[in-house]
Amino acid sequence: MFGKKRVAVIGAGMTLFRRTLKETGKELAWEASKMALDQAGLELKDIDSVVMGTAPDAFDGVHMKGEYLADGSGAYRKPYSRVFVGGGTGVFAVDAGWWHIASGQFDTCLVVAEEKMSSCYPHPAYAFTTIFDPIYARPLGVTLIWIFALEMHRYMHVHGIKKEEIALVSVKNKGNALDHPCAQLAAKITVEDVLNSEVLCYPVQRLDISPTSDGAAALVLASEDVAKKVTDNPVWIDGVGWSIDSTYWTNRDLYYPRYVQSAAQMAYKMAGIKNPPKEIDVAEVYDPFDYKELHHMEGLMLARKGQAPKLTADGVTQRDGDLPINPSGGLLGVGNPIAAAGTMKCCEIFWQLRGEAGKRQVKGDPRTGLAQAWGDLMQYGSVVIMRS
Amino acid sequence: MATEKILDVRRMTHWPGHMEADYIYTLGIAGERFFREIKENGRISGAKCKQCGQIFVPARLYCEKCFDKLTEWVDIGTKGRVYTFTVAYVDIKGEKLEEPIIYALIKFDGTVGGLVHKLGEVALCDLRVGLPVEAVFKPQPDRTANINDIKYFKPAK
Repeated sequence: MFGKKRVAVIGAGMTLFRRTLKETGKELAWEASKMALDQAGLELKDIDSVVMGTAPDAFDGVHMKGEYLADGSGAYRKPYSRVFVGGGTGVFAVDAGWWHIASGQFDTCLVVAEEKMSSCYPHPAYAFTTIFDPIYARPLGVTLIWIFALEMHRYMHVHGIKKEEIALVSVKNKGNALDHPCAQLAAKITVEDVLNSEVLCYPVQRLDISPTSDGAAALVLASEDVAKKVTDNPVWIDGVGWSIDSTYWTNRDLYYPRYVQSAAQMAYKMAGIKNPPKEIDVAEVYDPFDYKELHHMEGLMLARKGQAPKLTADGVTQRDGDLPINPSGGLLGVGNPIAAAGTMKCCEIFWQLRGEAGKRQVKGDPRTGLAQAWGDLMQYGSVVIMRS
Repeated sequence: MATEKILDVRRMTHWPGHMEADYIYTLGIAGERFFREIKENGRISGAKCKQCGQIFVPARLYCEKCFDKLTEWVDIGTKGRVYTFTVAYVDIKGEKLEEPIIYALIKFDGTVGGLVHKLGEVALCDLRVGLPVEAVFKPQPDRTANINDIKYFKPAK
């Protein structure tokens, strides 16, 4: 066993994901936290520690978001910290919650992630322009989309992948989201719709990208002792992993996400997983862009290099396929309030493993699930593996 | 079609705010020398690590793998190859550009890293991964020691 104590997930909650929500960031954090506590059957007084995950301050426009969001996160007079690894935050916050309990220091931990991107007006994409190196990149007018476009193009070039193969991911995820009550961009679309959408930065088109969103998501974690008292069906966190590649994205293998592979290897080793495609029953793979789902499936070793498009075309990754990927609808369908989107993925795996995913429930009786996120300057991987 | 229903935040009761902060960034120890070489000599520099032998472009103060100080600077020439490229149709604010801009990651043989820059003097139909390119510098008197002292990279002869 890794850590002093085994760690369970006993409750999950999330808000609607929308382009613009009326609630403040604090109110969103509170809503998700309260829902997770209610599902766990606990009250705030039962919570020993709180981990908050939220991405750049520039989105909410409050230049110390962790402090600002503390009350909505249930942190009042408790051990509290904010973690932040960019887009990887939502899964990393769960990893951090794990060590709070696994260390033996706490019996319960509320993990909550929030993002209110609509505050950044007129468009939150502008807040991304200051994440890049101020000397070597920003004077060129760097934008988030063209950086992704460079990576997507390299991935396509190395493996000879066509845009229509990648578009299938967007079609699948937006379709899956039709069954998610919180989804922002659920839709029945076709490959042609994606290929005919506006070209932003070749090869990236409008429908290849997830939206910007407001939203929050939360999980309640507990030690084995507490979990067994309050629930008959805890879901165990059996693997955690996180890793960063070179800070210079010019130094990375753009066609292959090694940072995800490193994080996955750490988590697989801990969970005793030797053959990921056989042993993982359902996965929530980080998909802010459609190609990233494929890219990350390969990094997670759920598909061989360059083979994720074929699995997608063959229907393997559909909700009723052999390896369902993003049954929630993912970031492309449910929405992308950065940190909250990663935690939403962990919530989905929890609900799937408990058989509580309703119309989104994958076939069979999934026992092992994985959630992954990706962040910082596109080189950070975070992974969590859960078992029922 | 999954087109987003944009709900303008100004339609809700709100208070407009602003996070004002301006910055001056120093180029750093390695950056100052790297850009001085570009400005004064039209040279692109790498720095070689004595431990792992790799040459990092742009030149840096230390090796991120070995953590050694990099003291050996190398002139890597002005020619490289397009590793990947994109054609941007929207600007930093998401607004349509009048003319698309081609951006590429340019790698230099025998080195690690590379430069992100614009491509010029090339037709869209002639773009390809692997295209040999060379730096086009501003005239020396106009250079001010920054990345835009290189105007763009163009196909190499």
